[in-house]
Parts: sequence; C-alpha cells; structure tokens
Amino acid sequence: MTANEPVMAGLPHSEQDRSDPVLRAGNTNCGGCGMSNGHLFMSRAAGNDYQIQMVIPACCGIVTPGQFPYSNYGVPVVASTFGGAAAVACGLSEVANQNDDGYRVVVWAGDGGTYDIGFATMSASAERNDDIMYVCYDNEIYGNTGGQRSSATPKGASTTTTPKGKDVGKKDIMGILGAHGIPYATTISLAHPEDAIRKFKKALGMKGFRFVHILAPCPTGWKSEPGEGIEIVRLGVKAGLFPIFEIEDGFKYTINVEPEMCDESLGDYLSKQGRFRKSGVTVADLRESIDRYWRRLRLLSRDE
Amino acid sequence: MEIRIHGRGGQGGVTGAKILALIYARLGKDVQTFGDYSGERSGAPVRAYTRVSDEPITNRNKVYHPDHLLVFDDSLLGPAVLSGVPKGGHILLNTTMSLSDLPPEYADFNVGLINATEIARKHGIGTKSLVIVNTTIAGAYCKLVGLEFSELDAAYNDIGFASNLDSAREAFETVEICETSTPHQHAPEDDLSAAQLPMVMELVAHVTSPATGLKTGTWSSQRPAYVEKLAPCSAFCPAGNDAIGFVQAMAANGGGAAEGAEILGRSTPLSAVCGRVCPAPCMQGCNRAEKEGTVNIRGLERWIAEQNPVAVRKVERVAEPKRLAIIGGGPAGLSAAYELAKAGHDAHIFDTEAKLGGVLRTGIPEYRLPRVALDREVDDVLALGVTAHCNEPIDAGRMSELASDFDGVIIAAGLQKLRSLGLPGEDSDAVEQGIRFLHRITMGGGATVSGHVVILGGGNTAMDCARSAYRAGAEKVTVAYRRTHAEMPAIREEIHEAEAEGVEMLMLRAPKGYVVADGKLTGIELEIQELGEPDESGRRSPKGTGQTETLDCDCVLLALGQSIDASIFPDGWEMSDDHHVKTANGAVVFGAGDISTWEGTVTHAIGSGRRAAGLALNALGVDYETFVRPERLTAVPATAIRMDHFSKRDMNADQMAHPSPLAGDYSEVNSGMADATEADRCFSCGKCTSCDNCLVYCPEGIIARQTEYGYAVDNDYCKGCGICVEECPRDSMEMYQL
Amino acid sequence: MSRQLISANHAAAEAATMAARANKNARGFASGIYPITPQTECIEYLAKQEIEKGAVVRVESEHSAMGVCIGAALSGARTFTASASNGLSYMVENIATAGFYRLPILMYAVNRTLGPPWNIWVDHGDTFQLRDAGWMHVYCEDNQEVMDSILFAYRVMEDARIMLPMMVCADAFVLSHTMMMTDMPTQEQVDAYLPDLNLPHAVASEPVTVGGLDFPRETEVHRRQHQEAFDRVPEVYAEAQAEFEKVFGRKIPDRVVPYQMDDAEIAIVCIGTFASTVKPVVDKLRKQGIKAGLVRLRMLRPFPEQEMVEILSGVERIGVMDRDISLGMGGVLWSETRGCAPHAIMQNYMIGLGGGDVRAGHIETIFTELLEQKESGKPRIVEVG
Repeated sequence: MTANEPVMAGLPHSEQDRSDPVLRAGNTNCGGCGMSNGHLFMSRAAGNDYQIQMVIPACCGIVTPGQFPYSNYGVPVVASTFGGAAAVACGLSEVANQNDDGYRVVVWAGDGGTYDIGFATMSASAERNDDIMYVCYDNEIYGNTGGQRSSATPKGASTTTTPKGKDVGKKDIMGILGAHGIPYATTISLAHPEDAIRKFKKALGMKGFRFVHILAPCPTGWKSEPGEGIEIVRLGVKAGLFPIFEIEDGFKYTINVEPEMCDESLGDYLSKQGRFRKSGVTVADLRESIDRYWRRLRLLSRDE
Repeated sequence: MEIRIHGRGGQGGVTGAKILALIYARLGKDVQTFGDYSGERSGAPVRAYTRVSDEPITNRNKVYHPDHLLVFDDSLLGPAVLSGVPKGGHILLNTTMSLSDLPPEYADFNVGLINATEIARKHGIGTKSLVIVNTTIAGAYCKLVGLEFSELDAAYNDIGFASNLDSAREAFETVEICETSTPHQHAPEDDLSAAQLPMVMELVAHVTSPATGLKTGTWSSQRPAYVEKLAPCSAFCPAGNDAIGFVQAMAANGGGAAEGAEILGRSTPLSAVCGRVCPAPCMQGCNRAEKEGTVNIRGLERWIAEQNPVAVRKVERVAEPKRLAIIGGGPAGLSAAYELAKAGHDAHIFDTEAKLGGVLRTGIPEYRLPRVALDREVDDVLALGVTAHCNEPIDAGRMSELASDFDGVIIAAGLQKLRSLGLPGEDSDAVEQGIRFLHRITMGGGATVSGHVVILGGGNTAMDCARSAYRAGAEKVTVAYRRTHAEMPAIREEIHEAEAEGVEMLMLRAPKGYVVADGKLTGIELEIQELGEPDESGRRSPKGTGQTETLDCDCVLLALGQSIDASIFPDGWEMSDDHHVKTANGAVVFGAGDISTWEGTVTHAIGSGRRAAGLALNALGVDYETFVRPERLTAVPATAIRMDHFSKRDMNADQMAHPSPLAGDYSEVNSGMADATEADRCFSCGKCTSCDNCLVYCPEGIIARQTEYGYAVDNDYCKGCGICVEECPRDSMEMYQL
Repeated sequence: MSRQLISANHAAAEAATMAARANKNARGFASGIYPITPQTECIEYLAKQEIEKGAVVRVESEHSAMGVCIGAALSGARTFTASASNGLSYMVENIATAGFYRLPILMYAVNRTLGPPWNIWVDHGDTFQLRDAGWMHVYCEDNQEVMDSILFAYRVMEDARIMLPMMVCADAFVLSHTMMMTDMPTQEQVDAYLPDLNLPHAVASEPVTVGGLDFPRETEVHRRQHQEAFDRVPEVYAEAQAEFEKVFGRKIPDRVVPYQMDDAEIAIVCIGTFASTVKPVVDKLRKQGIKAGLVRLRMLRPFPEQEMVEILSGVERIGVMDRDISLGMGGVLWSETRGCAPHAIMQNYMIGLGGGDVRAGHIETIFTELLEQKESGKPRIVEVG
C-alpha cells in the first residue's frame, strides 16, 4: 500500500479488528448483497472497542444467520417482530445501561422495517432518545419477500407490486429523523468506506438515538450485476441522488461528500439497474427533484 | 412417475420443474409441480418436484424416490442429492464431465450428461454470475427420456420461452447418454421413526451460536483471481525497463531507491543517462494522462540513478564464456556489453573515440547530460569486466578480422553518414554539419559561433545545435523546419526548452539555396511549405508552395538526419531483419542500435543492444532468454482504471534553471525532481499494490492479506459476486469461470 | 403488613413495583407502558414510582410496550406491562413472541370487551384470543388475589423449570377500578419471596441469535419443549403456593377453586368475579336442599384438566358461564371444559357480554333451568341488559 491509496489505510484486518466479524462468512445473503458490506463496515468500526447487541426485525438480515442453533453473526442478535425492532432495542439498552454493561445496542433493519411497518416504533424511540444506534439498510424494496414496493422504493422502479414502476418517490427519511432532533443522523455510502467507518465509529461512541442510513444494493431486486453494487452506489452519490451528509442534534447539517451532480452518473445509475427499465424513467425525470433536495440541503448546511 | 430437480437459487429449478410438467400435461397426463421453499438466496441449494400420472394425483408429499433426477449443478452432487433414486432410474447431470469420467456408482442408472451452463451462457440466458439453465436442460431431458423435441417446441411456444429453443435444441442434440441394463426397481420404504431424527437443543439452553460454516463457495460459478497485467509504461519502454516495477518499488518504500535500482539494473546500465535524455515513451503510455497528467517516470529513473548509481556490481562468468566484439561504444554497444557481461560472457567494445559513450558523449551537450553522470555509468559497465578498445576506428577489413577472432560481432556503430543539401555554397566555412558542431562542443573543448545561426532540421540534433549555439556565442538562433511543430521528431521537452531559451522556430520552411556574397554566407533561401497527405511515418508531408524568402544569417548548421556508413561492412555483409546481419561465411554478426532500429533514441538503442546480444548468444548455442519488446496493445488501457479512486495531484515536474546569459554556460539545466514522491502518483496499472480495496469491499469478509502477490481469498465462502474485481482500481484482478 | 383501600389496578402496580425492586441485585427491571382503559391507572401508578435499577418506558403503542419487555427480558431484567381489549389485539404479535421466546414477562390484563363498537366494560374475549400464544393465564376474583397473583406469577414464571410468561387477568371495573381493603406486603417479604431473576438464555456478549430460523424439525421439538415447560407448571405452582403462604401468611388459590363441590350434583363453572356472584346463590340453594356447587377456573393455561375432571366427576348438571363468545361456536370456557365431564348434562350460558351486570337473580334462573334440563342444549346467550 502506498500514499497513493486514498482509502482505508490500515483499517481492515488490523490488530484492532474483530476476530469474529459482526457478519460471518457462510451467511446466506446473496452474492453482492450491500447489507453484508454494511455489516462489515460496522464490524471494522466497532473493532474490539465496542460490544454490540443487535436487534433485527423481519428482513433478509434475520434469514442470513441460518438455522437454529447456529448463527452467522459474530454478535448477539435478537430477532424482533417486523415492526417492533426499536422497542426491543430500547428494552435491551435500558437494561444494559442500568447495569453499566457498556453494550452498544444496534437495530439493523431494512427499509420495510424502517420506513413502513416499524416507522411509528422507530419514531417513538427517536423521540424518547433511546440509547440505540438504528441502522437502516435500504435496498428500496421488500427483498426478503421477493421484491415488493416500500415507501423507500424510488420513483420509476419496478417491483412485483409496482410492475410498471412506482409513480411516487421515496420518503425523505433523513429529513424525518432530523426533525426528531436526535443527536445524530447520517447517511453512509458503501462506496466511501473511510467516511462510512468514521461515521460508524462516531455513532457507536455516542449516547442517545443515532440513525444511520445505508443505500444497500440488492442485485436480485435491482436486477443488476452483483459485482457492480458498489459502483452503483458511487454513481448514485456522484449524481446527487443519494446525498452523503450528517445531521447533529437535528440542526447541524454537514455535507460529507460533494456530488458532481452529473447527469452521466445518474444515467449510468439507472442503466445499470434493470428495475428502472420498464418505467423508462430518465435522467430528466429525476434531475429536478434531486436539485430541489440539494437546494434545501445547501441552505440547511450553511454556516450561520 | 416422479421427478426431482436439484439446483441453485437463480438457475430456474422451480420453473424447470414446471416446464417438465407442462410437457407431460400436453401429452394428456395429470401433473403436479412445486418447489421446496425456504429462505432461498441466489446460489443456495433449491429443490423442485414434478409428478406425472395417468390417474388423478392425490399425493402431495415431497418426492423421495424420483424416477427422474435432474441435477442443475454438479457441485451439489452428494448422497443427499442422489438418495432415493431407484435402480434403473434416469439421472441427468449438468456438468462438464463426459461419460468416461462417470464414477461406477452410476452404472445402475440411465445417465445423461450435458454442459447446459456453457450452452445457456453462450445463448445469453441469465447474467454473468448466474446462468439460467432450466430451459436448456429441458432439451437434454427430452432426449434422455425419449420425448420428441417437438413436444418441447410446442410447450415453449405456449409459455413464451420460444427464444430459448435454440439453446434447448443444442442440448437435445449434444446430450451424452449412457443407458443401463439394470431394470427399473422400486425403492425400499423409508424409515420414518422419530428415533432417527436429529436432536434439537432447548431454546432456553441456547446461549451461544456457532457459525453455520455453510460453504457458500459452492453457490458460485466464478471466482476472482489476482493477475499481473502489462502496464503501458513497461509495454511502451523500448529498452524493456520494468517501469511500473521500479516506480512501484519506490512508492512502496516511500521513495527509497535501492529496490528501484535493482529493477532498473536488470535491463539498463544507463539510468542516469535515460533519466535525462530519454524521450520517455513510458510517459506517453502512462494512463495517468487521462486524469491530470502522466507520472514523471523519467524523473524517477534519474532519481534512482542519483541515489543508487550502481545496481549490478559483480557478475559471475560462465564456465565457457563466449567472446563478442562490439563495434561502437554508444548506448547500444554499452547495452549489449552489459547484457553479455551480466550473462557471464566476454564483451570487447571497439570505439573510434578515446572514451566510450558514442553519441551520448559526442552529440549530447553537457548542459543536458553532464559528463560525470555518463562517465560513471560507462565505468560501471567496464567494471563488470567489459574490455574497451578505444581510439580504434573499424573499417571493413578490421571487421572481417574481428569476425574471425571473436565468437561473434555486434555492430553498434550508429549512423555515421550525414545528410546534406548538396547545394552550392555548402562548402562555406559558415555551413557545418550539426553533428560536427556538437562534436566540437563536446569533445573539442568548446566551439564558438556568432551572429544569427540557422539550424535546418527538426530532430534532437537540431535542438541540441540550437541550444548549444546560444552557449557558443550566437546572438540569435532560428530553427527552420519543413513541417510544423506537431511533426517535429525531437523530444517535446527539448523543443520547449529550446523555445524557453529563445530559439525561434520557423515552421514550414525548406532550404532552397545558400546566399553567398563575396565568398561569405549571408543568408539562406527558404521555400514556404504546406502540409499534404501523411507519409509512411504517419506525419503529414510538406509540399513546396513555390513561394520563397531569404533569411539573413551568419551560420547554418545542418541537422537533416543520418544514415548507415556502409563502408564498414565487408563484402557480402548486409543488414537483415531484426538485428540480423547476413555474412558471407556464416559468422555470427548482429546489428544493434540505430543501424537496426533507425529510431535514434537512447532507449531504443538499449533495447536493441539487449536483443542483439541475446540473439548472438542464441546463435552461438547459448540457452539465453533473449529480450523481446513487449506488445503494446496488450497493456492495460486507461478505460480499465477506476479513475475516481485516485485524487487529483499534479505531476512533480523536473526543476529547470536556464542560465542567463547562456553564452559559455554549459551547466546542467535540468536538476531533476526535489524528491521521489512522484512515485505515489503511479496507478500501478495491472499490478496489485495491496491497496486493500478488494478486501474492504468484499461483502463476505473473506479476503485477507498475504505475503505473496495479491490476497488470499477463502474460496470455501466466495459467492463469486465479483465486487472485488469491479472495485480493483488498477485492473489487477479477473473473474474466471469454474 | 398494612391494609389499604385500593383498586386492583393500583394493587397490580404496587405488586409490580415491589417485584421490580426485589430484582435490584440482579439485572433490574424494565417496563414498557401504554395507556388503555381500564388498566390506565395501573401504568400511571407505576410511572410515579422511583425504582432503583428500573426503567419505565413510555412507549407509543401496546406493540412496543411488549417490545420493550421482550428486549429487557432478553437482557435478563424483570419485566411488566399492562393492557386490555384492543390494546391486547394490537400487541398480539409481540405477545406471541414473548411466549415463543420463553420470556418470563408479566402482563396485567384487564378484561374488556373487544371493539368496535367501543365498549369499555368487562368481557373475557380479549385475553381468550391469546389462549394459544404460549402464555400462562390466571383469572382473579378479587383485589387481593390480583396483588398476590402478580407476586406469585414472578415466582412461577422465573423458575428455571418454567420460563414462560404469564398474564394475570382482572375483570374491567368490577376489579380494576373497584377499591377494596387489601393486605399490602412489605418489600422485605417480596424480597424474600422472589429470588433474583436468572434468565438462562439471556443475551450478553456471547454471539447468539435468538429467533433466527427454525425448520420443521426444530419447530416440532421446540413446541414439544414448550409444552413440557407447561407440564411442569402444576408442580412449580404448588411449591410457589406453599412458599407464598410461608412468607406472606396468606394462601394463593389453587388452579381450580371449588366451592361446595364435595357432594355437588349441580354446579356452575366460571372464571373471575362471577364466582363472587355465584357463591351466595349456591349457599341459598344448599339451604333449599339442592346440592349446588361452584367451580372457578383460575388458571386457563396450562389447563388444569385433571383437577377439573376430578371435581366434576360426580356432578350431573353443569352450567358453564362464559363472559365471552367464540362466534360460530359458543363460549370458550364451555368448549374448553366440556371434555372434562362427558357424563354430565352441560349447558353453556354466555352471559354479561359487554359488561352487563350479572346479578344473583340471573344465576338463580340458570340453576333453576339447569335443574329441569334433560340433556345438554345448544350454547345460549343470556341477556341481562
């Protein structure tokens, strides 16, 4: 490795690394699953500094550990009901804290469990400022049930329940969490590991409700090449489609990765995914809403 | 009749079972088909079943004793898959095996073997990492069990799979079948007692979970591999320097030059020289040009030479060394001698001059190549046991003698015949061959000129003459060239340096005649040119416009090019292809340097010297790996580099200091780079730098560092997603099909 | 010990608070609370308590109230929540989760009619819908029983042989809001009665996945093991009763509570506060020479079949009073009970549905009719207004 290499110097597989990763090899996630990348980033960020307890609602993440009594997670995991993850995590963290265990309780939920069925539970937990780190790995569909639309599915994406492509856009989950005034909310790009690991470390080290939003490629649902998942995220970030920013205490917005806002990246983002093909959604269809979002983000992130 | 299919998630096993059911349904049978659902993931084992009967089907159990077993992926094969098939049953395997590979336990079955994955992939069914094989295998199935292809054809048309018919037909026609004489038997009843079921731990006692250890590596049909591809810098280097090798050695060591010197020493004895005067084709190839500018590879070579001047200090002579005479001590001769010495053979260099170096010494002025640097490298070559025979001009007669005295001869004499215009007035004292002018400057202790000096030509000699002319006292220097800047053969940087020093470039001017008054040159008549069609060199050729102008001047230097002085060749000798020299008596003679390459650069000369030396050794029966110039086209293209992995950083250019005034000052203009951090800019095209990207992005966390090249991939768990390969910034990984 | 005039809601909360404090040397206590009539007073009371090493989390729904309990229980803490009626319906998914995870979570369930239309009065259909969720159920007759049953429940649930959740049920308003003089235990007594909770399958730092995937083979064994835990309840129940009496000087009723059943020829089977209404009628009939009796089923799960069979063995006529209806079938209690006395004429009366005030006269009518009855008839709804 040389000074030329911009990413990750020394982070993975160092002596600080967990010998038992959060997600073990032999898990049953599909090849090229973005959730797996997210787990490993969190694993590296936690290293041996944090003991993690994880709550996972119904989603691919709770299928991947495999059959009882085995597990492909290297941390304790509690499977919760689909809509109940944040509440279960709250119980775990309250007891951990009153016993000074030092455990960091993490919810690891898909977009269905976050944007939809678990929304009220999560919102309440955020409002209470429960001491949990809530990670939403957002693959923009109900992947575990075979790819149905959720309120995180973007406009134009075909799913098994929106065969012609969804006609409305996705919820602004970061805006919603920001409005809760929680200590920390951040998006994470799987194509920006250094930023991702810094944020995981930061969130793990904080108290109160922290929200981490990951755009997680799903080759099966996105109808994309498994190998191109990271590149697709990179394109999404470049295009401004998936802004990389963090919100502290609900008001301090920081943009972490400057997008190029380029149409070429947006076009590639769309064309690399079969799910956008049927609706024929184009760069022009999306550009205005992206720009509008960024105008707001710029205002919010302005120094006072 | 019962059919069971074993496949992997994404191969289309459940649909495959449905296809078979539809075929039988068309034949009027009652059918039933279903998949065995669990938490399927792409690549995970899947089962599917089909039942066929003349009677209404009431059985809704899974199939435990399939009459027909279809295995979509032979990596699934094992007792659990083969279990329950009654003797005399049919087994169809999607496999690369042929019947001769078939283990004996299949003897009691009717077996069909088909490589459906390859067929389906060829027909583009599925994705790169997951080929959908169901429709293809169905073709083979029909053949195996004696169904007409027309049945499949009709079924596919019914269900909209007609586009897969070609693939199915190929399978139908190519499936290998081995029938058994064992009659169809009924399977014995299964033991259904609970006693044979596995124990299950109590939930309340469950406090720790071991890993499943599920070998997800079996899910995949492809794997990543670390490869070393040819970097364009190395591919473009005529000397055959491992350019990426020495640059990366410096990058890896934070600028330390020892390993770089060792790498350079394998191919060249002239790093200090090349680090200054090489046109650096490596930099023309450098993919970083596509980002913000090439890596200053030449500067790095110079840096290494200055830090670690001697790479090879000792060589071992072989038991029976060959003795070779090398005619000419220029870069090609020195390179050939170096190559021979390193191989343990004896090299004798014969040179006209008092010291070796050839054109490096006689043609390149001090301000570009200090003698101290050249002398050191020449001395280093001699220190390896090379013998110099200086002040020995060679003519044809002497050449013949050498050919018989030595085991072989390498002629690296350069292009000694100088081109001139042949116009009246050329015999004036004020008209001189540039080469001679430079010789006077470099060897004669300093020439002087005055007034306006015009140089005719556009090559490196022209530039050297122009810049030297200022140092020799000229008030004004003009280069007149037939074509334009773009076509000038001189090294780009040299043109820029000349311009920086005040040399005027007069383009599209061809000399028509000298203007002489009172026996004294007063000017030169030039015809204005225009560019026509490209010539064989690819450059646009000049055409006279008929319009002329006269340029007043005091001196003209000719830099019009050189050619072989054939007078040194004995009768019957002539240059042939690829360094070979035909001789009358079969003596081992090779050419090297400009007489073979006509390229006129030090780097071509070095490569050529290496090759000639190797060819000579081979011709003498020595087993020696002769240098072959790499094929440029196989080099990693810029499109294969993931540019956005690298942040922008400008080239660390050489530091230039032009003396003022120039007259009389021959000190070196270029002092090289201040440090070697430039090496960090190298993309390392096609060569793993252990950057960790593959490791970082691997979703399985199964890529680990290792001391050997590349990384260790735990193939037991590799799902073959290909992210590592896609994310490799430098194209040093590839997926291969299993 | 003191006696106080308090409602069952407050009694439940007071008991839960003392149980919470009793676990301070172990992993402490946590509760998710959410209001619903008629249990709201209970969680309000709990919210006012200062509990060392205890968290009372004010959640946004019943589903989350149970969610918090599940998380806390899996971290080894003692837990408590309360709900009723539609709140229980909303909570069902997590109630079943608590059951199948074998977590000793206590729920104070106030029986209230399921809406719509909205009705806040007593009906047992809400907890009966949870019959198969893997929980123990007990139904109380008075305020004291509510208080004692909550302490008792922790002792049973948290026994290493059991590890099952329990709902302690109380009739809406009749118990929940009705204040009666109640013996208040001391914290010392509760500390003595309740050992520290040690959940064998608590999650800590060891990698373990709770609730990943069960295939049919794992599920059939896990269900069997779950059932075996229920099978051990009678034994543990009896031990906990004896210990309770030793510590508090009061008795915990048996799983089935017979009244005048030694020689009864005609009997009423019921749950909850109905029993209090039936007893004077039995007494009156006895004076008339009718060998009447009463059977109160205190524990619905595990169902005390053997006790029921024995108690009902000599009874010729049995009236089963259900304050619930399994529509399309009849009373749940009746359908549960009728296998226990196949010899008898058994008539089902669904009475007081939606909280109608069932009085002695209604019961006398039932006895009178039952005495005349020649054979078991179809389940009947008795309207009381």
